[in-house]
This record gives sequence, structure tokens and C-alpha cells, in this order.
Amino acid sequence: MDHLINPFLLFLGLAIGGLGLCAALPRRRVNPRVLGVVLGGLGIGIVLLGLGLKNPDTLPNYNFYIFAAILLGSSLRVITHPRPIYAALYFILAILASAGLYLLLSAEFMAFALIIVYAGAILITYLFVIMLATQAPSEDKLEALADYDIEARSPIVAALTGFVLLASLTTMLFRGAGDLPTPEAPVPDALLAQMPNRVTPEKVTASLTRIGELQEGEEFVSLDPMTSTVTIRGLEGERIVPIPAEMQVKNVEEIGFDLLNGHPGSIEIAGVILLMAMLGATVLSRKQVEFEEEAKLRQSQALSAAGTVFAEKEVRP
Amino acid sequence: MTFSLGLTLAQSGFPELMAASTLAPYLFVSAALFVIGLVGFITRRNLIIMFLCTELMFQAAGLALVAFSRYHLEHTGQTFVIFVLTVAAAEAALALALVVLLFRKKDSLSSEEWREMQG
Repeated sequence: MDHLINPFLLFLGLAIGGLGLCAALPRRRVNPRVLGVVLGGLGIGIVLLGLGLKNPDTLPNYNFYIFAAILLGSSLRVITHPRPIYAALYFILAILASAGLYLLLSAEFMAFALIIVYAGAILITYLFVIMLATQAPSEDKLEALADYDIEARSPIVAALTGFVLLASLTTMLFRGAGDLPTPEAPVPDALLAQMPNRVTPEKVTASLTRIGELQEGEEFVSLDPMTSTVTIRGLEGERIVPIPAEMQVKNVEEIGFDLLNGHPGSIEIAGVILLMAMLGATVLSRKQVEFEEEAKLRQSQALSAAGTVFAEKEVRP
Repeated sequence: MTFSLGLTLAQSGFPELMAASTLAPYLFVSAALFVIGLVGFITRRNLIIMFLCTELMFQAAGLALVAFSRYHLEHTGQTFVIFVLTVAAAEAALALALVVLLFRKKDSLSSEEWREMQG
């Protein structure tokens, strides 16, 4: 069986990473957060290095390591930072790093869609809710943290389960990934055959002239999507040149074609999901009005009891 | 040991086939991200952070989808990330409306406050 990594190195890295995660989770008294982050990074680093040792010729681009470090480090901070607002900001950093990984995987459209939809829309909603639903700090302690943010629930058990899961996932993955059959190379510009308006003779001629491929007295004859070539007829007969770069099929076109041609039903379902979410959110926020009176009542009670937030908590049944 | 010191992030033109051992680090990062989100979901007691952790897990799934789509040079994986984004957006809208509602009721974001819901 072909292992992509020495199993000893893999389990060592995962154990160190698990220890680090366990140490980094928020705790009330002793809080070795820096040690935890260092240990976690070391563990992940050992696994990635171990992956590189066995296959030095097929390593990913070095940008991968930068983005992976930012992604995993900031997602570690998302779950360890005691303040929700910082956790959300670190999440935006994680989104940007994974958009970088998408770019490395030549998924340009999804990378930018991810930044626009996640960092631009979803995370702003989170930030609004964090601002709406945060307890007012009491007067004596401006920087008060809520009780439930300071202490993690059963960090040791959680880290143990998580890393046992990760160990089993990666063991299977690294044993099987080496045996994956290499996929057949598809034809790059085959989609052009289905987009007749995109490769009209005028457009191709204009494009060829712009890059200086088409000289005086030559004319465009035909374009073959299957071989990504253009045939040009000149004075001394026909010659074949590759399709100009601006005429090649772009990532956005491929995704759009796949989306609308291959999954029209899924788009409808996605629309229904979004509609349902909108209806649900509307219904939920209509209810909020009823609660507002109650909250006002409580607030006035608390004020009349002349107490801080803590006093108000005791008054309530 | 040959490092590919390409200075550009994205290659121009159609991508080439990728070795399975180049795919593996991406899948490892995706799995690690999923586990970090899972551990966060279990350990944190703040409702908002718990939902942030589910978004981390969505991210991990998306990364794996895009990595496999790159490996097979097929675009269905990337198309699927669009649906993952849709579900994440719907989930965020609903969950956050709920969180605000729950906060109004108990004046606290702690998940332990809703212990009686465990049936």
C-alpha cells in the first residue's frame, strides 16, 4: 500500500496539534494560549513537511503553505478568542486565505465570489448580530467578558475526539490518495463548439490582428475547438496557430455553462431555499416586536432595582 | 528537491493535470479546518461562535470540493461551492435571527441557558 506520509510522522504531528489546540482553548485560570498556538502550528507543520518529504517533486506552489498557515492559524483563533467580535474578524481573515487557496486551485471565479459573499455579506450580518446581542458592560468593568466566553466546555474531550477523527480521515486519505487513478486530460476549449456567437469570424480576426498573428494579405479560415487551434490562409498556403489567449474559454464561462447547462434544477432549489430563509427570517423578526415590550419591562424593573446587569440577573426568576 | 517558485498565483490558460500527492496537502488542510470547526462547535458556549464554527466547516467542505474539481479538471465541484454558499447564507440569516430572538428572551448568548430544550 502506498503511503503518502510516514504514519509515525503523521500521528506525531496530529498528537502535537491536538495538544496545542487543547491548550489554546479558553480557560479560566491557567491559560497557556501562546504555547497552544505554537504547538498547534508545529503539529500541522510536521504533517505538511512529512507530506513533502516523500514526494518532493510534486509539492504544491509555495504560496499554498503561506495561505494554509494563515487559514489554519486564523481559524484556530476563531475558536479560541474569547471576544466574539475578534473571532468574526479572524473568520474574515480565514475567508481571505481560503480565497487564496481557491486561486491556487485555479478557481478564480469562486475565489472572488467567496470574498464578496462571505466576507462581504455573511460576516457583516454576523458583526451586526454581535453588536445587537452583546451584554452592556457594567460600569466598574468596561472590558467585562461574559462567563460563557471565558471557559470552554470540556476542551480535552473535544480535542481528543476531533483529532481522533482527523487521524482516521487523514490515514485513509493518505493511504488511498496515492492509488487514485490519474484523470484523463479533458479538451481545454471544447466548450467553444457550443458557443457559436463567441467565436464569430469577425471576432477571431480582430483578436488575431490585435496580437499580430495575422499579417497583411492573410485571412482567418476556421477555428477548431477540439485542438485549440486556428487555421489561417496566407499567400503561401494555410498555417495553423494556437487560439489567442483572449479567445480561450475562461473559468467564469466554464462555471456558468456547467451551472446553467448541467444543474438548472439545483438553481431553482437554491432559489427556494433562499426564499424560505427570507420568509423565516421575516417571521422571526416580526416576533421580535412582541419581545421588545417585555424587554422594556425588564429594563425598567432593573433600573428601578437600581442594579447593574448582575443585580438584574438575580431579580429575574 | 525542486520548488516551483512561480511568482503568479493563478496560471494563465487551461490548468494542467495535478498529481495525487499535490492534491493531498489541500485535502489535509480541508480536513484540519473541518476538525477545528468541529472542536470549536463542541467547546464554545457562545451561540454566535458556535454558528461561526459551522461556517468554518462549510469552508472546509468547499475547499475539498474545489480541490477535487481541480484534480479532475471538472467544474462541477466549483459549481457546487455556489450551492454551499447559498446554504451558508440561508443558514446565517435564519440562525442569526434566532440568536437575536433568544438573546431578547434570556439576555444571554450562552447555549447552556437553553438546557431545558434537550427533551
